[in-house]
Amino acid sequence: MTLAKKQLTMNLLLGGVTALGAYGAMTMVVRHARGSSPESLLVPAGIVALAALLFWSRRQLRQGIAAMASQLGSMAASRETGRVTAEHPVLRRLVCPLNELLLTGRNDVAEQRAANRELQIQARLADAEKDRLQAIIHSINDAVIVVNRFDELMLANAAAERVLGFKLGGAMRKNIEQILTDAALVRMIREARAHAPTGRTKTAEHAIEVDGERRVFLVTLSCVATDQDRMAGVVAVLQDVTKEKEIAQMKTDFVSNVSHELRSPLAGIKAYIEMLLSDEVDSDQTRREFYEIISGETDRLSRLIDNILNISRIESGVIKVSKEPVSLTAVVKETLEVATPQAANKNIDLVTQTVPVFNQVEADRDMLSQAVMNLVSNAVKYTTEGGTITVSTTVDEGRQVAACEVADTGVGIAAEDLPHICDKFYRVRTHSQMAKGTGLGLSLVKHIVETVHSGRLDVSSKVGQGSTFRMELPLC
Amino acid sequence: MIGLEVRRMNRQIVVVADDEPHIRHVLALKLAKGGLQVFVAADGQEALELCRAEKPDLLITDNQMPALSGLDLCLQLREDPATADIAAIMLTARDFDLPTDQIKRAGILLVMSKPFSPAEVLNNALEILNRTVTVQERI
Repeated sequence: MTLAKKQLTMNLLLGGVTALGAYGAMTMVVRHARGSSPESLLVPAGIVALAALLFWSRRQLRQGIAAMASQLGSMAASRETGRVTAEHPVLRRLVCPLNELLLTGRNDVAEQRAANRELQIQARLADAEKDRLQAIIHSINDAVIVVNRFDELMLANAAAERVLGFKLGGAMRKNIEQILTDAALVRMIREARAHAPTGRTKTAEHAIEVDGERRVFLVTLSCVATDQDRMAGVVAVLQDVTKEKEIAQMKTDFVSNVSHELRSPLAGIKAYIEMLLSDEVDSDQTRREFYEIISGETDRLSRLIDNILNISRIESGVIKVSKEPVSLTAVVKETLEVATPQAANKNIDLVTQTVPVFNQVEADRDMLSQAVMNLVSNAVKYTTEGGTITVSTTVDEGRQVAACEVADTGVGIAAEDLPHICDKFYRVRTHSQMAKGTGLGLSLVKHIVETVHSGRLDVSSKVGQGSTFRMELPLC
Repeated sequence: MIGLEVRRMNRQIVVVADDEPHIRHVLALKLAKGGLQVFVAADGQEALELCRAEKPDLLITDNQMPALSGLDLCLQLREDPATADIAAIMLTARDFDLPTDQIKRAGILLVMSKPFSPAEVLNNALEILNRTVTVQERI
């Protein structure tokens, strides 16, 4: 109902009431003028009274509504408290449920905001966690690649890029068949998923050529499952074990070499003893010969064991290295005193050319002695009668090194043997009859000079003319 | 016509190859006492040439030798029809290092480890030599 219609209705009612009152009043006046009895005035009086009552109550109602309307303006809503207040008692009764509703609304909004903040914090934490994880994975030296159940690349670190030869940028979400050139590795990843139940890891060795070099990797494949136990993907970690395998191979080779070297003199000893025991020796002279051979082989075996032990202990660090300022010249002079008689036996001229005593190197005296001794005794062994061995010490102030050179006029070393002469047990076969040797002497010299003292060992040689061994050590 | 030819048991020839002189010496002595004719070689190449020249009935060889290893020596002997039938015993300080398929291919009948007993070597040699009967069928 429009306001206009309402007003019209009100006006009509007002008009009606007024008309009714007027009619009653007129009837009263008329009847009174006619001299009617007082009882006949009752009805018109009643009508007038009714009209008056209606008029009065309308006025009251209007006043009441006007009062409430004027109070409506005074209703105040406070943003801080979230409540509506009113002075008028009736309005106050309206305001209560309104306030309750508002309060509930406020609480809901507050809860929602709190939940939102919580979500944002969680999202930031998750991001930070993801970044940290990625940083960790990228910093791992081992190659890590993760594929999902469709064989698509999901994650890879820098090491994987380097080892497997691809660029991460364009490779994400591509099938690993397209990214990896190593078909065997792709197959391994696929098979890991196909055969293993979730959570189990499989390891296998795999050789890959990296930068033109063959390297061996230990590949660990793990299947990843989601909460619902569904196969989500495979994580492959490739650990470069090339060095470890080399070292393991070297150890195996060493053991194999040692046992071979030890068995050889033993074979001689056993064989000759058996001949002697079975009385198969014809003459005393032969018997004596056999005893001497046995004796010689026993010495050989003993020397071998000593040298092997020595070199093993030095290389494994069991022998304590005690370095102090040592004069290279002084050590050389002492060593030559021991070597001179051996050289004299073969008529070898032992010449020394040394620099003044005060040039010193930081070295373990005993080890240095041993190294020099090995070089000199080698020179004596492989130089024929009447030859010359020159031992000299020099100092290079510019490079801050002291050097000791042992040059002989002996049989020399062939070019194909030169790279191997410091290998353990290596003995140049052509001249193995010239001297007894274990093949360990130069290996020890190299270890002492280069590993223990950070120096350098160099060799130059010409077959038939002689060899020069030079050891350089840093000055104090 | 089918005919059988049995190799006569004359003084059979053995080649001993080892880079250790004492080993060569004691083996040569023992085998000679056992009635065999012995030739010695100090390395694999020398042994190969000796086998081609003397056509021995048996070769007793070390494995680790200069120039040519015992294993390679035997493999080369098999490749040449003139020397393919030479029986071979290997005497080695590294018996664990030899793969079985390679030994078969090289035609090595027996691998003995060092240290060895000269008497055992002789016994094994004689056994192998006595088994050598060449049967040739001729149609």
